[in-house]
Amino acid sequence: MRLLLAAGLLLLTSFQITASDIVLISGGPALRSFEKFRTASHDKYWGNFIDAAVSRAKELKSGLKPGDPIVWLVFRPSYLRRTEEDQQDYLKILEERGQIVGIAPIYFDNKDQLFALLRRDGSKDKPKISRLEYFGHSNKKCWMFDYSNRVDGGALEPLVLHVDDLDNISGSSFTSDAECVSYGCHSGEEFSQRWRMIVGRPMVGAVGKTDYSDGGIPKLSTGKGGSWAY
Amino acid sequence: MGILVTLSWLVLLPAICFAPPLPLRPSTGTGTNPVIPAASEPAVTESEPVEESDEEVRHPLAEKVLRATLPAAHTPAKHGQTDGPYLIAQRTIVEDYCGWGWVRKEDDTWRQARWIAIEPTVGVCPIPHTFLPRPEDDNNQQYRFYGDFAPYRAYEPQADMWVDVFILKGFLSLGPAEPIRRDPPAQASSRPNRFAERGANMLRP
Repeated sequence: MRLLLAAGLLLLTSFQITASDIVLISGGPALRSFEKFRTASHDKYWGNFIDAAVSRAKELKSGLKPGDPIVWLVFRPSYLRRTEEDQQDYLKILEERGQIVGIAPIYFDNKDQLFALLRRDGSKDKPKISRLEYFGHSNKKCWMFDYSNRVDGGALEPLVLHVDDLDNISGSSFTSDAECVSYGCHSGEEFSQRWRMIVGRPMVGAVGKTDYSDGGIPKLSTGKGGSWAY
Repeated sequence: MGILVTLSWLVLLPAICFAPPLPLRPSTGTGTNPVIPAASEPAVTESEPVEESDEEVRHPLAEKVLRATLPAAHTPAKHGQTDGPYLIAQRTIVEDYCGWGWVRKEDDTWRQARWIAIEPTVGVCPIPHTFLPRPEDDNNQQYRFYGDFAPYRAYEPQADMWVDVFILKGFLSLGPAEPIRRDPPAQASSRPNRFAERGANMLRP
């Protein structure tokens, strides 16, 4: 009986100690050399997805439980190419912006690295994810970390997360009450439902386009009757 | 009906039989007659020296002038590594569709062509239209493309398609060509979506 009580106490203590991660993902910007000729031109400003994630981190910090870290995953190759194009060290700038709110970027270069970073077993080194939010380009079927950066108007296969890839993300990497949000365009039209069915956690996404032009956390584009769905 | 045919014969036959003789061809037109030597026509050859010299001056055709002033004429004729096997490529711009255009083997028809997205080789060969003011300036221009297909594909977000990626190492400009009357691939590539039918749970705005 004593042994059982001790084991129960130990279990309770370990639950209190085990923290969970909040994961923010920032996709990359398009190149201006591809986009400047388009009527609906993307990413005039390089840091849409950086500023949005930093603003969200600042917002989340106020309501965080102690020991719950914010993990900020940033898709590096697009920033390197935009750096080359604009002759500005964007990686340095984004790191400085993260420092202001106390977050440091963890870079990933393709979707396989992202899958590895999202693989969690609940241990101290790999705590489960209690919240995941995505800032970047998307359509209803795909998160495009690399939109219009390597190829004009599209994205390379290893640098996108298509709904057909969702089998690589396990629901056991998330806490049972985890919340997920995609701030990309059109995610609520299909991606969210597939995420819910395959990963097993609800994901809020936009029906219609999202707008990053005001800076900070994106909002639904006006004029098209968009809404959030999960 | 038979009466009509007989009547028309009666009218037409005398008209043909009693028709005046055809006028003779003018006698000066003997240049084609091989019997008469060319030397016997000095008056003809000497009377038109001005016209002949006019013909020798090669004025540029309006079409050629137009072609030379087109922006596409400013793409280099040759760039990068232009040896080894090549593909015939034609720039085709499709509004709101990812990709560069069509490529085919020399002996293939455009029906067998593949739609490609293009990636330049840094430091070796840029995409041809980067030499021009705007990307659409080389629409319907034909090239010889030297390079390889990438082991990965590109995602076309409008049509949810995967398209081949060609890594360009060099090109040879072949000039303008007729537009290719063929749509790029458009069917959905992902597996059937059995979840989308469930519909989304809408949140209050």
